[in-house]
Amino acid sequence: MKIQVNEQALTLPNSMNIEQLLSHLEKPLIGSAVAVNMQVISRSEWTQYNINEGDNISLFQAIAGG
Amino acid sequence: MLSDNELLRYSRHLLLEEVSEAGQHKLKNAKVLIIGMGGLGSPAALYLAAAGIGHLVLNDFDDIEVSNLQRQITYQNSDIGESKVEVTKQRLQQLNPDIKVRSINKQMPEQQLSMELTMADLVLDCTDNMATRQMINKACVDAKVPLIVGAAIRLEGQLMFFDHSQAESPCYHCLFPSSEEQTLNCSNAGIIGPVVGTIGTLQALEAIKYFVGLPSGIKNKLKLFDGKTLDWQTFAINKDTQCSVCGQV
Ligand SMILES: [Zn+2]
Repeated sequence: MKIQVNEQALTLPNSMNIEQLLSHLEKPLIGSAVAVNMQVISRSEWTQYNINEGDNISLFQAIAGG
Repeated sequence: MLSDNELLRYSRHLLLEEVSEAGQHKLKNAKVLIIGMGGLGSPAALYLAAAGIGHLVLNDFDDIEVSNLQRQITYQNSDIGESKVEVTKQRLQQLNPDIKVRSINKQMPEQQLSMELTMADLVLDCTDNMATRQMINKACVDAKVPLIVGAAIRLEGQLMFFDHSQAESPCYHCLFPSSEEQTLNCSNAGIIGPVVGTIGTLQALEAIKYFVGLPSGIKNKLKLFDGKTLDWQTFAINKDTQCSVCGQV
């Protein structure tokens, strides 16, 4: 399955949900936020939200500085 | 009625149909609590005072250090060692003697923050750590006070606006549910002054727009600013019905 993660093309070996994608990419779960096609997906939905072919995924970190 | 002095001072607002005299009155009656007088709070406070926001409450508990001066543009070399809120209050009163400025020179416990929110129309979160951000968010949700959140690190900025007067509004915790300090801050990761200044300036712009009744471009949205490319990304935030702060009880 072909998707985009932070504007980089990526091929996933099998279908997966958001939490599995973060593990697959070795990204930390804590402090991360995820958007699919510019819509933020709440942490509580990560295990139910399955990634679809062509999805545009954005991963970013909370920043606290000011 | 605006005085002759005010008509002159705010003449560039009055020329705008988006502000005009009615809008200037709303700014004069507005009460804004700014929490954090660092790189975000400096430009935000200066712009809001200049714009004629009638009541500003400034909160911080830090004294000015030489390493602040690279980006916290309210302060001068001779201010080192002085309290941030006291110096800012003085500067704002010099800038605009028509407005009222109050300073709170301490880290507010939850109870005091809630009390302050009963007197605030809008809060700007200009703080520098996750624990305080989560506390401010929860207090604003509980008090139904709109919250404009800014944050910046390195060459990146984040900006959001949650109108907690609306029950269906999402909150900061829906987006970032973790209060763990996994996050980066200015002291451990560095920051370029105009990046944090851009975000603080836009917090002031959104505040002015809110009071004069212009729709916000960032309500229930997260804006990410990339200081390298000057690109912005915009993400929609939905309320998390499982959110422990704003979700259904
Ligand atoms: Zn929430």
